[in-house]
Amino acid sequence: MERHWSRRQFLGRAAGSAVAVPSLAAILAACSKPGEGSGGDGSPASDIPIATLDDPVTLPLNADPIPADTPIESGPLIYYNWADYIYKKEIAKFEEKFGVEVEITTFNNMEEGIAKVESGQVQPDVFFPTKGYLRRLVQNDLVQPLQHELIPNIENMWPIYSDPGPYYDREWRYTVPYTIYTWGVAYRRDRVTDDEIAAQGWDALWNNEYEGEISLYNSYGDTIAVAILRNGSLEVNTDDPALIDEAKNAVLETIDQNGARLTINGVYAKLPAGDYTVAESWSGDIVGAQWYLPKDVDWDVLGYWRPDPGQSMTDNDLIAIPSGATNPRLAHEFINFFLDERVAYDNFRYWNGYQPPLSSIEPDKLIADGVVPPTLPMAVVSQDMFAQDLTPYELPPEVDQLWQAAWTEITS
Amino acid sequence: MARTSDATRPDTESEPEPPRRRARRGERQAAAETGVWYPRWYWPSFSLPGVVVLAFLFVLPAYVVISVAFGTTDFERFGRAVPYYAPWWWSFDTFNQTLSQFWGPDAIYQDALIRTFAFVFSASAICLVLGYSVAYFTARKTTKYKGLVLILLISPLWISYLMRIYAWQGLLDTGGPINVLLGPFGFRETDLLSGLPVTVILGLVYGYIPFMILPIYASLDRIQENLLEAGRDLGASGRQTFWRVTLPMSRPAILTGLVIVTLPMFGDYYTNDLLGSTRTQMFGNLIAVQNELSGGKTRTASLVIILSVIVLVPMLYYLRETRRASERA
Repeated sequence: MERHWSRRQFLGRAAGSAVAVPSLAAILAACSKPGEGSGGDGSPASDIPIATLDDPVTLPLNADPIPADTPIESGPLIYYNWADYIYKKEIAKFEEKFGVEVEITTFNNMEEGIAKVESGQVQPDVFFPTKGYLRRLVQNDLVQPLQHELIPNIENMWPIYSDPGPYYDREWRYTVPYTIYTWGVAYRRDRVTDDEIAAQGWDALWNNEYEGEISLYNSYGDTIAVAILRNGSLEVNTDDPALIDEAKNAVLETIDQNGARLTINGVYAKLPAGDYTVAESWSGDIVGAQWYLPKDVDWDVLGYWRPDPGQSMTDNDLIAIPSGATNPRLAHEFINFFLDERVAYDNFRYWNGYQPPLSSIEPDKLIADGVVPPTLPMAVVSQDMFAQDLTPYELPPEVDQLWQAAWTEITS
Repeated sequence: MARTSDATRPDTESEPEPPRRRARRGERQAAAETGVWYPRWYWPSFSLPGVVVLAFLFVLPAYVVISVAFGTTDFERFGRAVPYYAPWWWSFDTFNQTLSQFWGPDAIYQDALIRTFAFVFSASAICLVLGYSVAYFTARKTTKYKGLVLILLISPLWISYLMRIYAWQGLLDTGGPINVLLGPFGFRETDLLSGLPVTVILGLVYGYIPFMILPIYASLDRIQENLLEAGRDLGASGRQTFWRVTLPMSRPAILTGLVIVTLPMFGDYYTNDLLGSTRTQMFGNLIAVQNELSGGKTRTASLVIILSVIVLVPMLYYLRETRRASERA
């Protein structure tokens, strides 16, 4: 009897068993076509419509809010947000007030944040999603309704956020606003004057005079929308392939001919450092940029332009409580704490640069108090802009794919 | 030992056996004589760790990538991938669409593909020429300080690649030392970080050259001095000895170095992210971009498969060459 395996026999059998392991598991998992039962192309029947200013949505309650007399948990509170988007001193104050620890976890882009919340890799108590994801967060039961009795500080925010509640979340069932901001052109006033930029508007980002010193956001939703505005359309949520195509060509044009760069820190870090002269900018970034200026550079080099209200684009970020939160009462306290007038204001003025929609904030006062440099009056968002301005909505999948295809072409 | 016992045994077969089989048969004979017996599974079991590692770290992930590429996307669940594990559900729509974007009218990936080949070939060639010279110098010309030179060659790897590339950013920036140094030679001040192919190739060479130097050094170091002396004795000049003795003997090491350097370069994306721009996107960047788009995972996996097939070609060539080399030896 042959007692030895030849090398070839051995390798053959070893390979056979190696292949057998995964395919067995795969066969077990593949008894039914994946995604059909659990909702492949149309999860639990997508019955919540996409919210717009004209068609506000009252999100259905997927559970009851926690009772108002729920005892305060001992923590630690898991906080999940963009990196560098809150003043840590205010978090320390919260920790002190409630005698708990706050565990700060961060994500680099919304995709990552959502994916980790969905998979349970991170189980936050407070989560800061963007508006475009809210409908699906509710649809998939990933966020829980808020107990309004525990958040009296909503009173401090612009009335629209609680009465009747913002169009994307009427009755503010799941969210409170965190910050509000506009899109515009940030520029270096030591290289280009306010008048020059005002005369050019968005075209400044296409001006060959600033070759190699132009920054656009490395984010398809933002940059394609800005290109649409620059091309003279106000359809910032367009599903028209022609408009998307024109926008794509415009972005490619400024990249190819003017050496525009796609960045994420172009405004708050590189503009102050002098690497760029003009940059596509969220208003919060340019306000925050004052803290990134080199020592010998004065704050008055920073400028910000946006179109007139009605033609400009405004959006706000949110705070929500995921359904898997282990400290839901504490999470309510956290939200209430950050809606406190003093806390929200300090978070904005000392560190963040992103404005909370506080009723008490008056544009003139912000500049008088030195919160916003006097050269950046347009970076302040006023209350009427919320309803008046253009704003990005969640794009339906097939439209979103068009935008992404355009972006793919831009980035390849 | 087996061989000697075998040699004393009179050959019973008419045809002379190939040496390998003779040796194996000798082992069997020896086992029968000494009474040491191994169960059937004994020797194969030694490969178990290797098989497990291969299965879980290569075959399984590769299968998952394939299942994602041939699966679909759930947009209501934030565009996450829905892999189809069972081959009978596989849908090739996304894959075919992605593939069609490399050639023809919708060829949005073509530029990046050509660029990737150009960058990888240039960078590998530079790595080879520079790396060979450095390895040759280290193996031949440094006697006393060989250890020190080797340590110096490896020392960059002690610092994170990211840190070193940040340092390059500072060096290459407008107003940085490189621009200042080139100034007197009539070079115009240029933003070397504005997406210039030469900068990205420089980054690739810088990042991968140690992996070229080390295998070549190891090979050159092992070439026995007397072989070279024999070459000289037989009348070859120094240059001829190099071309006819040293270079052929280091050929396997060159191939190894090229494979180690080239394959990861094809998938490299951070070098361009840090030193280039959208105008110098490589294949790896295409993958990175798609991976960050919501609903882009199926396209990401399709691109990964396409890249794997591309790098399979040099890999197969390498395997064939090394097998030939071992047969020759």
